[in-house]
Amino acid sequence: MISVKRIHKSYGKLHVLKDVSLNVEQGEVVVMIGPSGSGKSTLLRCMNYLEQIQEGSIEIEGKPIGLIQKNGKLVEMPQKELDKVRSEVGMVFQNFNLFPHVSVLENVMMAPMTVKKTKREEAEKLARELLRKVGLAEKADMYPDQLSGGQKQRVAIARALAMKPKVMLFDEPTSALDPELVGEVLTVMKQLAAEGMTMVVVTHEMGFAREVADRVVVMDGGTLIEDGTPEKIFTAPDQPRTQAFLSKVLSH
Amino acid sequence: MALDFMVIFEDNNLIALLEGLWVTVSMTFMALILSAVLGLIIGLGRMSKQKWISVLCSWYLAWFRGTPLLVQLMILYYGLAIGMQVDLSASVAGVLGLGMYSAAYVSEIVRGAIQSIDKGQMEAGRSLGMSHGKTMLKVILPQAVRRMLPPLCNEFIALTKNSSLLSVITVSELMRAGNLIVSNNFRYFEIYIGIAVLYFLVNYSISVIIGRLERKLSVEGARA
Repeated sequence: MISVKRIHKSYGKLHVLKDVSLNVEQGEVVVMIGPSGSGKSTLLRCMNYLEQIQEGSIEIEGKPIGLIQKNGKLVEMPQKELDKVRSEVGMVFQNFNLFPHVSVLENVMMAPMTVKKTKREEAEKLARELLRKVGLAEKADMYPDQLSGGQKQRVAIARALAMKPKVMLFDEPTSALDPELVGEVLTVMKQLAAEGMTMVVVTHEMGFAREVADRVVVMDGGTLIEDGTPEKIFTAPDQPRTQAFLSKVLSH
Repeated sequence: MALDFMVIFEDNNLIALLEGLWVTVSMTFMALILSAVLGLIIGLGRMSKQKWISVLCSWYLAWFRGTPLLVQLMILYYGLAIGMQVDLSASVAGVLGLGMYSAAYVSEIVRGAIQSIDKGQMEAGRSLGMSHGKTMLKVILPQAVRRMLPPLCNEFIALTKNSSLLSVITVSELMRAGNLIVSNNFRYFEIYIGIAVLYFLVNYSISVIIGRLERKLSVEGARA
């Protein structure tokens, strides 16, 4: 489904991703953990080319995203093609990034109407359905700033689902939330996972990783240091660095 | 000579002033539209990834902001006619001159407002598969316009006041109408006070209209 092959990414002299490869299968839930600055969010953002890579390739269902081979050189693909691949990859951000100038309903309707030219009635029907699914049907006519953080993030999930993506990427979806609001967002994510959605999640919620992930990927210093089932990673990790990280986050 | 404000109402003076006011308002209005459109283009152009577009727009800004409006008007009206045989009418030269000058300032207002929008908004739009242009149009600009309104109000008021410079290229606007009256009756104080009041009324209306627009656009609960 997603195939990341030997990618490198630098910000100037800072080498943030070093020769990273990762495969995500259809229907799989992969959780990425690791200390801050380890490159896990950057890797996730590379998967829909919000960050440019300098080397390597990323493919979504066999189609390259971002860079393509042209006359033996790696070049950026045309915007139209990039937009097409992106429309099949949903993204949920740490800071929600809802559109504050339109209502909740219109946040969800905008992309289908703009990109897929869906008719207004149809887009509205879909949007109301998705809002019901995330438990916010009654908030449709409100504006994002009238919602709590947890509600905003659930709208953001509905907005991404409106494009009927094949994969959903979550970039620390609960990190900006008050503790008591984390649960409602995780519940929606669990429900999605149970429906068979392919998901890649960067999170610090170890409970979620343990319960929902099919695979846990540990990153440190810009490389992928360990990859395994949650049982293995949380009970008997191979890498001392994984142990060290987990002992810090699980000890309190 | 004792002050006598009644001179404003004598010898068809008021009608001459109001005719001048009409010219001022209509020319400023046309210049304002030119300025808004051109300013938006230059402002977006300055942020273009195409190097030559952004360089061209930066030079536009540098030139029109860096030279006096009066000199620009002189070049457009007298300079072009005599040096290049391009004979623009006074009104055309006036609207072009005012509009192009003001567009330089508007372009900076546009660029500042767009860049003040959180970059997560563009990322969210792009991640949904919307193009850069569509995201700009549907997500960034609607939020940016609200932030542009207060500085645009300043700019449009400045534009109205600057239109008095058109009197030197023979446009029969309010200032020139006043000058003609004064050259006959030497009532400098009364006539120029009258002119000042008329300018004030126009500009006060602009600030009220834009203030209303601002309130109308600020949706309940929405920031920005």
